[in-house]
Amino acid sequence: MDYRKLVELIPIGKWGALSDKLVDFILTSKNDEKMSSQLANTILHHWQQSVLKSETGLAALLEAALLLEPEKTINAFGELQMENVAEQIKAELES
Amino acid sequence: MVKFGIEFVPREPYWKIIYYAVQAEMGGFSNLWITDHFNNRNVYVTLTAAAIYTNKITFGPGVTNPYMVNPVFTAQAMATLNELAPGRVVLGIGAGDKTTLESVGVEMEKPLKAVQEAIDIFRKITSGESVVYSGEVFKTAGAKFLFKPRGTIPVYVGAQGPKMLEFAGKMGDGVLINACHPKDVEYAVSCVKEGVKAAGKKLNEIDVAAYTSFSVHEDIKKANKAAVPVVSFIVAGSPPQVLERHGIDVKKAEEIKEALKANDWGRAFGGVTPEMINAFSVCGTPDMCIERIAELLKSGISQFVVGSPIGANVKEAINLISEKIIPHFRT
Repeated sequence: MDYRKLVELIPIGKWGALSDKLVDFILTSKNDEKMSSQLANTILHHWQQSVLKSETGLAALLEAALLLEPEKTINAFGELQMENVAEQIKAELES
Repeated sequence: MVKFGIEFVPREPYWKIIYYAVQAEMGGFSNLWITDHFNNRNVYVTLTAAAIYTNKITFGPGVTNPYMVNPVFTAQAMATLNELAPGRVVLGIGAGDKTTLESVGVEMEKPLKAVQEAIDIFRKITSGESVVYSGEVFKTAGAKFLFKPRGTIPVYVGAQGPKMLEFAGKMGDGVLINACHPKDVEYAVSCVKEGVKAAGKKLNEIDVAAYTSFSVHEDIKKANKAAVPVVSFIVAGSPPQVLERHGIDVKKAEEIKEALKANDWGRAFGGVTPEMINAFSVCGTPDMCIERIAELLKSGISQFVVGSPIGANVKEAINLISEKIIPHFRT
């Protein structure tokens, strides 16, 4: 899945709220073993640089959230009135 | 001005701990403490990650013990960390937890002596000395690093009993007092003062930290609920005189202990009373926590450590502390 392309579908005004939601999913997930250390380190690096709400930060969070909590993540797009992105993700996951 | 520290237990994967550590640093915490128990993830690996992803927070094991790790190895790990994050590293060391030590067949022999000798060896070897040491617990025959350690690493002594507290005041650069209630902290600080006085120092020359079990939430019920499991273990491990000091029924504490042994969490947690939460944690809404911290400050502490569980949701709790509690003590 091209997470950068998915982020491009998200209005910039919603990046902050989405980033917060995805971080919550990741931190409270019980599926820790699904997180790769490389992805974890990327997220920590972006967090340290305060760029988790940027395009690259959001792409890393999206990848992690979809690995750890796919259902919650897809539902979050619905809650944030981004059904088109939710549908796009579902299609990508099914293919 | 009081400093705020935060403790994490590396039972969680490193990336969660480090996320929270970075958040705490951004939120105004000055100290990060990582617990050291063999059954969790390794403290020094976790601290290494903390060194890499944080920029200014001071950090260290909170606390290690000289029984599981020989002091020369502790010194080696700390000296290496001090190269990674110069001037940001502190050692927290205490006698350890008897139950954990027993589970690996290690006897907690002469705890005061063991900690004292471990600190002696730690300080000597991290200052570059070749250490010939003949103590009651530890012996070294010319142990020396093959690299040049940089700087001095402050030593905090984790203490609960009067003798260890006094020793901490005498020998430590800091003390980590394992207590939450003003009565207990006041007593502990009085013991630390004895040690400080004996060493010809002043209390404000060392960092006196209250290392607390902490739980904050805007909804008091949620704060209490998060505190209950931790408090149940503290109650179960507290001697009768400590329970009685807080008016806690020793029989009830015994029942909790039995339930924990039987892994009957419902019964154990259900037995925790509001009095127990009050005695063994700093728990409540931000305003309630501010009130309790202000009381503790009167005892003379210079650092307040927010320990497990921190809150029902750790990220939200750190935000609450950073936005509502720390600023209160900065004005």
